Formats: sequence, structure tokens, C-alpha cells
Amino acid sequence: MMTGNELSTEIKYPPCKLACPIQTDVREYVQLIAERRFEEAFATIRKQNPLPRVCGRICTHPCETACKRGQVEEPIAIAALKRFASDGLWRDQYEAALPGKSTGHKVAVVGSGPAGLAAAHDLALLGHGVTIFEALPVLGGMLRVGVPEYRLPNDVLDEEIHTIVDLGIEVKTGVRIGKEIKLTDLFEQGYKAVFMGIGAHRDRKLHIAGEDKLKGVVSAVSFLRGVNQAEKPRVGVRVAVIGGGNTAIDSARSALRLGAEGVHIVYRRSREEMPAAKEEIEEAAHEGVQMSYLTSPLEILGRDGKVSALKCIKNELGDPDDSGRRSPKPVPGSEFSFDVDMVIAAIGQAPDSSLVAEEIEVTERRKRIIVDGPYTLVTTQPGVFAGGDAVTGPATVVEAISAGKRAAISIDSYLRGESPATVESAGPTETERLSSVIIEKTTKFERCLKTSLPADNRVKGFDEVEAVLSEDVAVKEALRCLHCFLGARLDKEKCISCLTCVRVCPLGIPTTNKMGEITIDPFACQACGTCALECPVRAIDISLDSRAQMAQKIEKGMAESHQPDPVIVGFFDLHGNFGSSDMERLRQGHPNVLPVMVFGLRRVDTFDVLKAFECGADGVFLAGCAPDTDPFPEATDRVKRRMAHARTLLDALGIDGARLEVCDMPEQGIVDKELIDGLIQRIKEAGQARSE
Amino acid sequence: MITLEQKKFQEIEKMTKGYNPLLVLGCETCAAMSFAGGQQQVAELASAIRIARKTSGQEGEVLEDAVARQCEPEFVDLIADKVGGCDAVLSIACGAGVQLFAERFQDKVILPGCNTTFLGVTEELGVWSERCAGCGNCILDKTAGLCPIARCSKQLLNGPCGGSMNGKCEISKEVDCVWQLIIDRLTRLNRLEMLEEIFPVKDWSPAGHGGPRKMVREDLKS
Repeated sequence: MMTGNELSTEIKYPPCKLACPIQTDVREYVQLIAERRFEEAFATIRKQNPLPRVCGRICTHPCETACKRGQVEEPIAIAALKRFASDGLWRDQYEAALPGKSTGHKVAVVGSGPAGLAAAHDLALLGHGVTIFEALPVLGGMLRVGVPEYRLPNDVLDEEIHTIVDLGIEVKTGVRIGKEIKLTDLFEQGYKAVFMGIGAHRDRKLHIAGEDKLKGVVSAVSFLRGVNQAEKPRVGVRVAVIGGGNTAIDSARSALRLGAEGVHIVYRRSREEMPAAKEEIEEAAHEGVQMSYLTSPLEILGRDGKVSALKCIKNELGDPDDSGRRSPKPVPGSEFSFDVDMVIAAIGQAPDSSLVAEEIEVTERRKRIIVDGPYTLVTTQPGVFAGGDAVTGPATVVEAISAGKRAAISIDSYLRGESPATVESAGPTETERLSSVIIEKTTKFERCLKTSLPADNRVKGFDEVEAVLSEDVAVKEALRCLHCFLGARLDKEKCISCLTCVRVCPLGIPTTNKMGEITIDPFACQACGTCALECPVRAIDISLDSRAQMAQKIEKGMAESHQPDPVIVGFFDLHGNFGSSDMERLRQGHPNVLPVMVFGLRRVDTFDVLKAFECGADGVFLAGCAPDTDPFPEATDRVKRRMAHARTLLDALGIDGARLEVCDMPEQGIVDKELIDGLIQRIKEAGQARSE
Repeated sequence: MITLEQKKFQEIEKMTKGYNPLLVLGCETCAAMSFAGGQQQVAELASAIRIARKTSGQEGEVLEDAVARQCEPEFVDLIADKVGGCDAVLSIACGAGVQLFAERFQDKVILPGCNTTFLGVTEELGVWSERCAGCGNCILDKTAGLCPIARCSKQLLNGPCGGSMNGKCEISKEVDCVWQLIIDRLTRLNRLEMLEEIFPVKDWSPAGHGGPRKMVREDLKS
């Protein structure tokens, strides 16, 4: 065979991976789901994320914000796909990684939230002996006591934690480091390093009149802690929640579930500046939570020592402040009051670092633990590392996991006596913009709808609101992926400037200058593969179903084939409207067919058909998807013309061209029975004619 | 560019029969741009030959390679080793490439896999048409940039003839009368008076009628 030069285009990260704090291989697992290779999809997720089921539910998914599909209509539902892959395969099929060979070092992880769990998990895999110290009687940190069960059920969290602890991690609950045991005591007990992942569990105060003396004023942290216990707290009839973050939304939605008749969120800026996740705000409103934007509380009024009303003032937005958000300015004379009997303060949390403040330095105002850098995470005390909310203030689950993972790497270097690995930032995370022409030419596919409990049922209890995607919905959703950086790669050394790519691209992505130098934007390309197939000198290949991968699928499939004669290679377009039951029916009903699944029938070349016959196939058919599910219907039309050419060639070769069939899949299902039966019949007849 | 098309497979199969190993050799300039001799076509043709041999119970290895241009000795010489190990080479280049190959490898069987068609242009992907006959004496300045030598069925210099009907040539409704095109274009350019000059009888010797052509540049040759 010919040897090609290395393809020269530099491989870049797709925006989803770049946006993820733990650089999850999103594109890879989405692709695996599209191919119905669910176990591999889950293994890909779990490789980087020790808490995939948690993230599948409550991650703020910066990947979706960065997703290129979002520029066309709506981003891929990545979090829902993660949950689909992780929920479905948790118990039976996933083989957890085994801890590495013991290094003999002991590491103490203080706090069992996402940062602590991630650090413990990665340290255990690196072979270190890990002990988790948790102040509360239960593991999970804010995941356990901060996130209500309707978003993250306890049994899901339990299973994720068990899998981590099963790596051989020792757990000590009810131990508050700094109180019973000082940090220095840990070193005396033989721990060589400590990771402080104590989170941010102390509510910031409102600092308004009535806050401290009236009954019915609670902090969000203590309220949600109560919500997550079997014995639920009592709530008022009319509840005001002050704040605009996810904690405020969680508090409001929980109060509704505990029987409050009216719940108001009071937020000083407008909806646009609200830090809570958009979906959460929408869900809360859908369930009946009232929103009072541009409103600041002035005083909590009381009667008989109990909360009776909240006095507020309306704001207008002024100039942007340090955070870049427009700051609220009170409108004189706009004061008003409304009756409430409970006030939940959710205006932010700080780490509860007072117990360790003697031993490690913390910031003055917000009491955050000071570290020397985001990758080393070294505190002012040698051997003590810190990360997560305790360092950054309240942030997201995936940022905490990221901190835990970074800490594990840094601690590992420290224990080995090596200087911490210098990590280069992955670069700008801003997604490149697609041109309006490409957006217009891109086929639109609606984002999957999530299945949720009806609002009336939701507020009756703490049942999980969102359901996991069904298999067929998940596959369809995954097929919306635009395959950033998996498309055409041009080998400029081989290119002869024939302009075929410029002429055939359905999106107009390859361009030429007057000297014939071709440029193909690897971000904009959607990997339809047309240019790679038509390039006469094979200067272009694509990464998704590359030429070599296609050949391998056919060769390997044929080599391992147990199909009875006559063997028929069937190329199926993954975009077809079929489900796993149809695949099963195909296996049962048509044992002669060796299925080769491809990302678009347009990817099948005359060469691939010849390859199948060369490997011993007796017949070949191509089953295409319906035009309405095809992202490149025009390019697919080329397949039929290409196959007409292949048929002529087969005739010339002495193989009856009728052994090659091209068809559309039926509206439902994967292939018509008559078509395969007819093909088999023709092959048999041709075989008999020859032997006679 | 020079355009080419692959010969019918039956013809190729017949001429390559019995050669073992056979090298299928592509040419990555004009032949590739005609979708007749690029690496993609090499792979396809080699695969087809292998299948045909297998189907008819013949033995024989089929190798694949390609060079940038088979009309350059330096490129051709670069695969001398591979050629040396073969019984025959099926060259899918134009006739010039095939012949240079034969010259460089005196003892090797060399077979043409393509027919050389014409000097032409790409009208669109998959459609080419003739534009130049290589007559050695260009007159396009006098014919509004449209060549009657390459594009008039009779190669008339003072056309059109009586067979021009509604802008088409009498040989086929698909063929434009180039003299109609010349007149239309000169009319648009307001230069129709140029046709009042009568072309003298053409000297065809630079067109090859004076024997095989050769071009020597004393300033360049070594």
C-alpha cells in the first residue's frame, strides 16, 4: 500500500472539552452514544470524572454554553447525555479502575464534598493511602446537605461515593479538623500531606434590622441542611428567599415542596445578572416561585417576636461594578412591604475556616484559604493543600472536582519530592464564531425535550424532577453533534490544487487563493467527508470514520464474521430512524448481514464496496436514512451516482452489479425484509448460473 | 490541463493478464485532475484487478504507487526499485507519461491504463471540454479568444460554414458553432470589423504536420 505523509493540520480541542474544568472528552462520548457504544461512552466519562451521575444532574455544563451547535440553534444536551450514559451502566458493566501500587504514603483529605471526593479518588488511584475526615455524620458535603433530593437523589450520591470509597479509602465522619484534631496532629499521626476541601458552609449575613432577633429568619445553608434530612424543617405559609444564586433557587423550590403557599425570590439586580442557572430559574418559575427582581430588602418586620413582613426598596441598574455586572441603585421613595412569615437568606456563603485559621492563612474578609496558585494549590503551611469552594468561594460542582483533581496531581508531586508539574493553560475558551453563511447552510435539528414530572406532582415531595433520556432519544441527540475538529484534514504536500474539495463541500468551507493553496477551517468543518472521498490524490482524510477506519471496519468485520453464506455487508447510516430493537431484529431475522455502521452513507466509497467484495462478501447493500434525518441530504445524493459507477465496474469485473444494492431505510426500522431477501435470492441464482 | 479517461476495465484486464506482480502507477497532476490517475483511482483500479483475478482464479500480486508527474524523468526514476521488482507497469497517465516510462525502463513491459483525450478546461466538477489543439500558432487575438482550430468541426479559419444552424454545429445539437460564438462576442466587444480581414491559408507545420515536434531552449539546456 502507499504510504501517506503525516496529515499536517494541528489537532485542536473542541470547545466542549476546552470549556470543561476537568477537560472531559465530551465529543468522544457523545460520538460513542451516537454509535450506541454506551459502555465505552461511560468509560470515557468516568475516566476523567469520579462523579458522573452527579454531574449528569447538576453540572452547570459550560460545555453546552461553548457548544458549536449552539450557534446554529441549540447546543447538544451534553449533561443529559452524560446522565444517560452514566445512569444506565453504573452497576453491571463498568469495571472501575484499580488503585495503583501502594506508595506507602498516607494523605488526609478534609471534607467529603466534590473537591475532597475527587482528590481522594485520584490520590487512591495513584497508590496513596487516603483517609477522608468529614465533620458531618454523612459523606458528600454540599452535594449531600446543600442540593435538594429533587435534583440529586441520595441513593445516586451514595452509589457514586461507594465506588470511590471502595478504592480502599478510610472514612472518618463526625470529626472536625481544627477542633478535635489540629492540622499538626495529622502530620504527627503519619499523614504526609493534607488536602483541605472544606467547602463554603457559612452563610453570609444580610446585615439588616430584624435578622438576628426574629423567629422565622433562617440561613439557606442551615435550611437546606434540614431539607436533606429525614425530619424536614417546617416552613412558613409565605416565604421570602433573598438572593439570586442556585442556593436561593434550591431554597425556594424546597420551601414550596414543604408546603409553603407562596414563595418569593427577592433579588437586587435583574434576571439578566442573576447568577443561578437559567434552567433552574425557569423550573422554579414553572413550579410557581414568584420573582421580585431589582428589589433589595431593607428590614425584616416582626410581630410577637416572629417574622411578619419584609420591607424592601426597588432598584434601578447603574454602572457596572468590579464583577462587570451593573450595580443596583435604590430608587428613592419606592419602599414597600409585603407579608411573609419566613425569610431565607441566600446571599452567598464563605468557608467555615475559623478552626484552621491559626494554622493556615485565610483571606481577611471572606475567610477563603489562601493558596499559591491554581495548579499547585499549596497553602501557607507546608504539606497542606486546599481547593474547591474553600479557596474560591461558592462555585460549581465541576470546578470543585477540577480542584480536587489538580490537588491530587500537586500532592503526588510533593510526595515524590518532585517540583509540581507546570501546567499550561489550555488557552482561550471563547468558542470561535461560525460565519452566518455556514449557520444558514447547516441543517437544523431540534434539541431533545427533557421529560419532567408535572409541576403539580413535583411540589408534593422531593421526587427527582427530571427523568433520564430514553436510549433512542439519547442517540438522536448525540447525532446532532457537529464533530468540531474531526473533519477534513488537508495534507498540503499532497494537494495538487485540483479544487475538487472547493467544488463539492456542501457548506463552502474549503477556500483557495490564486496560487491554488487550499485552506480548510478545521473548526467550521462538520465532517461530512465528501471532500475526502472525492479528492483524487487522497490529500484529504477526515478523522471521523477515516479512510483507514472504514477499511478496518470492513476487514475486521469480515475476518470475524460468523454470517452464514451468502455473506452480505450492509452499510447503515447511523442517522436512520431505528432503535436497538431494530438492530436486534436485523441480527435475528437476517443472519447473513454483516452490519457496518457509518456516520452518513455519503462516507461509503466505491473503494469500500470493492474492499468488501475483496474480503469475500457475496453482496453489498447501502441503507440510507430518510432525508429529514440526514444532515447533508445533497451530499448523500452523490452516493447513488457513485454506486451506479461501482455497479458498472462490478459488471466489468465479472461480479454481477446487481449484487450491489442502494436503498432508503423504511420510515420506521432499519431495512426492508423484501430487499435483503431479494438480494440473497439474486446472489444464489447468480451462483447457480455460474456453477451450471 | 491534459484530460484523460481510464480505459474500459475489460480492456485493462485483458492487457494486464498474467503479469505478476503488476504495478498500477498513478500520475498526480493532469491524470489526477481528470479523476483517472490519482491515488484514489490507483487504489480503486488495483482493488478491481485483484477481485477480477480472484474471481477468475488467477494468481498475481497487484502493487500500487503514484508519482507527481510521469512526464518528468526525475520523478519516474525515483521508483526504479519498485519497478524493477515487477513484471509489468500499468501506467495511468497520459500517453506522454507512458512513453517516458518506457524510455526510462527499456526492459520493462509498460501498459497504458488511460486514453489521452484533449487539452481542455473544467466546465464544472465532472465536466471537461476541449479548448486547444496545440497547433503551434495561436490566433486567439483575432478570434475574440475563441479557437476555431480546436472548436470548429472543420477547423475553418473563415467561418461559419453553411452547417451552422441556430448557433449549433451540424454535427450535433450539443455542439456550439464556434464561429457563431466568435461573431456574438465580437459584436459585444464592438469589434465585428475584425472579421473583414481574411485568414490566409494556415501553415500546419508547427502543428505537427511537419513531423514530430521538439522544442529546445538553448538558454536553459545544459
